[in-house]
Amino acid sequence: MLGYAIEVNDLRKEFQVKKKNEHFWKKKNKEKEIFVAVDNINFDVKKGEIFGFLGPNGAGKTTTIKMISTLLRPTSGTIIVNGENVVENPIKALTNIGTVLAGERSTYWKLTGRENLEYFAAMHGITGKKAREKTDYLLKRLELDKRADETVEKYSTGMKQRVALAKALIAEPNILILDEPTSGLDPQSARNLREIILEIKEEGRTIFLTTHYMEEADQLSDRIGIIDHGKIIALDTPQNLKNNLNKTNIINLELDNWTEDVLEKIKEIPAIENVTSKFNENTQNFEVKVHVSNGSETVSNLITSTISSGIKIINFRVEEPTLEDVFINLTGKSLRE
Amino acid sequence: METTIKKPSVFTAMGAVFKKEFKIAFRYPTWFISMLIWPILLPLGYVFTAKALSGTDTSSLVSFATLTGTSDYKTYMLIGTVMWSWMNSILWSFGTSLRVEQVRGTLESNWLCPVPKISLLLGYSLFDMIFSIIYIPIIVLEFKLVYNFHFVGSPLLALLVLLVSIPAVYGIGFIFASLVMWVKEANSMVFLVRGMIMVFCGITYPLAVLPNWMRNVSKFIPITYSINALRAVITEGVSVGDIKSEIFILLIFGAVLMTLGLLAFNYTQKRVKSSGSLGQY
Ligand SMILES: Nc1ncnc2c1ncn2[C@@H]1O[C@H](COP(=O)(O)OP(=O)(O)O)[C@@H](O)[C@H]1O
Ligand SMILES: [Mg+2]
Repeated sequence: MLGYAIEVNDLRKEFQVKKKNEHFWKKKNKEKEIFVAVDNINFDVKKGEIFGFLGPNGAGKTTTIKMISTLLRPTSGTIIVNGENVVENPIKALTNIGTVLAGERSTYWKLTGRENLEYFAAMHGITGKKAREKTDYLLKRLELDKRADETVEKYSTGMKQRVALAKALIAEPNILILDEPTSGLDPQSARNLREIILEIKEEGRTIFLTTHYMEEADQLSDRIGIIDHGKIIALDTPQNLKNNLNKTNIINLELDNWTEDVLEKIKEIPAIENVTSKFNENTQNFEVKVHVSNGSETVSNLITSTISSGIKIINFRVEEPTLEDVFINLTGKSLRE
Repeated sequence: METTIKKPSVFTAMGAVFKKEFKIAFRYPTWFISMLIWPILLPLGYVFTAKALSGTDTSSLVSFATLTGTSDYKTYMLIGTVMWSWMNSILWSFGTSLRVEQVRGTLESNWLCPVPKISLLLGYSLFDMIFSIIYIPIIVLEFKLVYNFHFVGSPLLALLVLLVSIPAVYGIGFIFASLVMWVKEANSMVFLVRGMIMVFCGITYPLAVLPNWMRNVSKFIPITYSINALRAVITEGVSVGDIKSEIFILLIFGAVLMTLGLLAFNYTQKRVKSSGSLGQY
């Protein structure tokens, strides 16, 4: 138990949603429907690790984060943060947690970066000289010091995200929780932020983050939980997750055309496991990804079927599996769908 | 890593909220000008109407004086409109404070702090009250200059009436703030509440002119008693003994409404936590 920063047991969240097309004069339809956003999940986050929660939009990542951060009450199940039950003792639990929620509006835009940090310091019981010192330190550390006395509304999105991060770090929490930290950032800012996250881990803090970018989960996380439709469908180190796919070959085809007929034809080939496709606007070609569970024989079948349908193969690559492939292998669909 | 963070006291949190609101308010102070002009403009219509009705000869004021105990109808109306404005501003500013945080996106950030959530609302009321304390002398001065407003009775006794009204007024504010965060819509509720106060509490007329059923309704609104007591003090110069029943009733209203306010806040807090509507707008 000492080794875990967060322990989640049988966690479930149901939301009541109003039925659509509900007619107010029909009394029978008045019951509300129950939607299960988080479906009895179990996982532990070890002290000092970065635990990544990877899943498509609507998978239940934010809902899980909000339950851990005491913003949402679980329907059932328990969450223990540093030995403290978050439902029974939310305030105590919150002294261990720094949370950055998704979106850029979590700080006061009409206050300066410095004022924001001093405010949230006080709301964590840090005042006076100590608050000023911590604020100065974090402003410098997150490269906000040059514009610390400008109102946040004048900051770029990347800077706003860094103020939100500084806010979460102000009370030196053991555990940092980040909901889609790089979403909405330009590639350069996203890269910067990922570096900062790794530095924070080096300080010995535990980090729980969600993302729908597989590269990000892969690069940052010590362990990853893959979540889909409120369920954790895999949980391991990124390497192990990918290693489990090593019997699978991942083939990327770039094609000038793509039809349902060809899809059906290809799916009939034995040893073909998953086929996903997307249209690339830039090249005006279709990129088709095929998981194949045995060797060259299937590959030649695949090529023959494609060409005989009158489709031109513009490019052909065999790839190393990524987390995207892990996800496709588990769910039959792409992360971005 | 182990840190020994202590959770802050409610007072630290209240102080922080106060300071933050103060900074935000005075960073963009254009609203302050309207705060100065509004109390003068608001009674103007009533005062001129009264002037038109009473005419130049003072005989028609006699009936007003027999009903109200004073012929200084201007002061009489000013007291009513000021109390109405106070209530109105509490509904608009304090009553929508949580909702404003929700729309700004900062409500959840505050909810993530290890403090009892009520300290947020308490901090807001502290800001509101201190602001009112500064604002009241300004209004009195303005009234003196513009309307020749004058105190017959003791200003300190008038202040006492305001003080004992605070729990009731903020109790309504607490209930209101909780409801607005939950219902996510303030306008229609503000209009309803202040409309009721305007009609039932006699802000420009004595309650004696109201039909019986309306007078009965007004008995259940605390502002009625504040206005009555203030008028008795300011225009008639009564002593504390003459308004002790009003003071007593106001304190009872205060205890009841504050309790209801805290209950409403707790209930709302639970509700938004389970429906997930804390951060939505
Ligand atoms: N307050 C709520 N009321 C009803 N449904 C909700 C609420 N919050 C989230 N949901 C639903 O729960 C599902 C999971 O949402 P969320 O946890 O935000 O997903 P993610 O963060 O993985 O994109 C979604 O289908 C979403 O529409
Ligand atoms: Mg989300």
